[in-house]
Amino acid sequence: MRKPAYGVLALFPSADALLKAIPKVKARGYAQLEAYTPYPVHGLDAALGLPESKLGVLVFLMAAFGAVGVFAFEWWANAVNYPLLTGGKNAFTWPAWIPPTLEGSIFLGTFTAALAMLFIFNGLPFFGHPLLQTKTIDEITRDRFALLIVPSGAAFDEADAAAALRAAGGAAVETLPAPSHETPDAAWWTRTALAIAAACAVAGGATAFAIRVFPTVKPMVNMEVQPRLDAQEPDSFFANGRGMRLPPAGTVPRGGTPILAASLDAAGRELIDPLPVTEFVLERGRRQFDRHCAVCHDRLGTGRASLSSVYTAKPADLQSSTMRKIADGSLYWVISQGYNTMPAYAADVSPDDRWAIVRYIRALQRSQDAPERDLK
Amino acid sequence: MSSLPESLREKPLVEGRVSLADLDEHVQSLSETNPPRSWYVAVSITSLVALVGLSTVGYMVSHGIGTMGNNEPVVWGFPIVNFVFWVGIGHAGTLISVILLLYRQRWRNAISRTAEAVTVFAFICAMMFPAIHIGRPWMPHWLLPYPNSRGMWIDFRSPLIWDVFAVFTYFGVSILFWYMGLIPDLASLRGRTKSKVKRAVYGLLSWGWVGDARHWLQYEKAYLILAGLTTTLALSVHSIVSMDFAASILPGWHMTIFPPYFVVGAAFSGFAGVVIVFAFVRTTMKLEGYITMRHMDLLNKMVLFLSCVMTYAYIMEGFTAWYSSNVFDRYIFANYVFGDQWWAGCLTIFCNCVLPQLLWFPKMRRSVPAMVTVAAGVTLGMWFERYTILILSLHRGYLPATWGTFRPTIVDAGILVGSIGIFLTLLLLFLKNMPIIAAWEVKPDIVHYQKDAEVEHA
Ligand code: HEC
Repeated sequence: MRKPAYGVLALFPSADALLKAIPKVKARGYAQLEAYTPYPVHGLDAALGLPESKLGVLVFLMAAFGAVGVFAFEWWANAVNYPLLTGGKNAFTWPAWIPPTLEGSIFLGTFTAALAMLFIFNGLPFFGHPLLQTKTIDEITRDRFALLIVPSGAAFDEADAAAALRAAGGAAVETLPAPSHETPDAAWWTRTALAIAAACAVAGGATAFAIRVFPTVKPMVNMEVQPRLDAQEPDSFFANGRGMRLPPAGTVPRGGTPILAASLDAAGRELIDPLPVTEFVLERGRRQFDRHCAVCHDRLGTGRASLSSVYTAKPADLQSSTMRKIADGSLYWVISQGYNTMPAYAADVSPDDRWAIVRYIRALQRSQDAPERDLK
Repeated sequence: MSSLPESLREKPLVEGRVSLADLDEHVQSLSETNPPRSWYVAVSITSLVALVGLSTVGYMVSHGIGTMGNNEPVVWGFPIVNFVFWVGIGHAGTLISVILLLYRQRWRNAISRTAEAVTVFAFICAMMFPAIHIGRPWMPHWLLPYPNSRGMWIDFRSPLIWDVFAVFTYFGVSILFWYMGLIPDLASLRGRTKSKVKRAVYGLLSWGWVGDARHWLQYEKAYLILAGLTTTLALSVHSIVSMDFAASILPGWHMTIFPPYFVVGAAFSGFAGVVIVFAFVRTTMKLEGYITMRHMDLLNKMVLFLSCVMTYAYIMEGFTAWYSSNVFDRYIFANYVFGDQWWAGCLTIFCNCVLPQLLWFPKMRRSVPAMVTVAAGVTLGMWFERYTILILSLHRGYLPATWGTFRPTIVDAGILVGSIGIFLTLLLLFLKNMPIIAAWEVKPDIVHYQKDAEVEHA
């Protein structure tokens, strides 16, 4: 059996001619019509009896979602997850969150309007449209106005439809074949899947390479290279060749707490963790560890962080058996005083936070290679 | 219609008797034929300038931000002056394509496409400046809220963060609006081209557009919604930019007039920019029939109107400073025009308030040399306005001990000139390769005015 045609098409020289033709064709009993025009012709929707667009509803919903979403995120980020307090005021500073809320709403609204119009409401792309297979479409996008009778019912007679169009003033009448809906075969799917996989592999490889190399390239390391003396750097200005001056004996930093232990081992024997055992302490320790230590020691403490490829010193493996055996006080001492190439963190991390970090290191150690009984 | 007296009759926006096919022939053939030699000359010059600019940026990035003139107390310097300047230029496109659309101003149809292109390209230039001004341009993601191991978020209360959101949204939406307008025209390019490859590319880019009446219905709806939403953007973006200044406490910045004042300034410089672009485009591209003297006249009226609003804003600003009785505010305003960089303030006033008054004369509005002179003056004046606001305020803060003087360096100049090169190069490429008049919007106008003409003949 022959596939039923898509429809019978005729061209009109002007929008007015098209508008006049529609009632005539309708009068001959053809109710299902489509029109194709080079520009939006006003009055055509009414003549064809097209329903109102529902696009506005969708856009409104998405714009409202954008506004609520952005506002809620701002509130969560700035008042709940990481409260930023300014001038001792309440963290819920809603007026200051309005501008991004507006932008978020408009962004989602506009993109919904355009994309939903194209891809949902108009069902584009439809490259299989029979008009696209003809030469006629080139005339329509230039200056012709087309009317198409869609076949309805079994008694549809192409010749009669063509006659109706001609009688209404249409020219260049032609029958459009049904769109070809060829389903892609297995080979097509394999090819597409392979292409996508290859693209992903290339993109992934490039990203991995970039992440590795990028931070080590000049000028990306420029903050390292600065015309000033770093701590412990030699300099010829003073007779003893040191860049730093020695503080007078007995100096104590302002606001700092001196460590009352003479050495790493002494600290291990003498210092006692003063913190209570609470979830808050562990959580605090996790944050401080991730912030200060993870860049070198990795988030699990393995000492193989992403920086290790460019960092010449070798950060200790905090999961090693030595580190599991070392006393809490010694860990505290290392954080406060540093250890060989490991910098001191006394200036950046408060004593309580240091203990919290120690606690968290212990938790990390317990989390890896956990004994059977811990898993029960 | 014909009973109306001559002076009240609407003058046609399309000159001469042209058919719909003629329009496509005029406008779209540009992308099919080889451009004249002058185009090649122009594009080589502008891309050379752009290249010099980009190399200067490269030099600045590798040697550090100290190579520019920014330093205490003027830490914002040229990059932010240029940023505000370019964002301003970008505003005309949106105003023309969006607000005039809502007001059903038919004359916008012929110029909207190119004006939107001006917007997009001006924004590309604008966005370059904050990117290089942050000092480490390879860390722009720090401006965005993304989950990180530091466990911190950006501060959404900061006007600078509002600015990031505003500018990104505006840029995205401008491109979207521009592209959406292009779809039907790309479909008609698909119909014209002889080359198979081009046909496929245009077909893909227009998503298989066939001009179905049902599609047009949704399309026009989407266009209108986009226009409505983008209007809020057009008015809010420069307001938010102005809050970078107004939300601080610096004398000369901490003023409630700033948001509307910036929006008007932006539109003003934008229209001036568009006048210059069209003064050249319409003659060199032989589009006088579509972008007529009437269009130019209307554009110039907009410039004149905005100049008057600008003048009012300047007066209000000065009045507020005086009326506040705040010695610092008063001093800052005196310093704009009598201080050690008095020429910046005086140039601003001359170019933005005095020079455009020429446009009261219809002859001037219709003379290409006159309008280009005025528009170029306004563009210069608006750049100096930003210079005045930014630099002359920053270098005289509340603490006289920190007062200083700003001196731009050759790097500053190179990057500014380079950004002009980038803008012009992009614009020239656009003019050559894309449908520069929104044909689907102008075609109904052609029909409309031709009908009028027929009624007259009858
Ligand atoms: C700049 C990179 C860096 C950071 C950040 C860093 N460390 Fe280290 N850490 C090292 C290096 C390198 C070593 C190895 C030192 C050596 O043995 O010479 C080390 C060693 C250690 C040791 C073992 C000391 C020993 O007795 O052998 C501990 C414990 C330690 N770090 C804990 C921490 C903690 C806790 C933090 C977070 C406050 C931290 N580190 C932050 C680089 C770093």
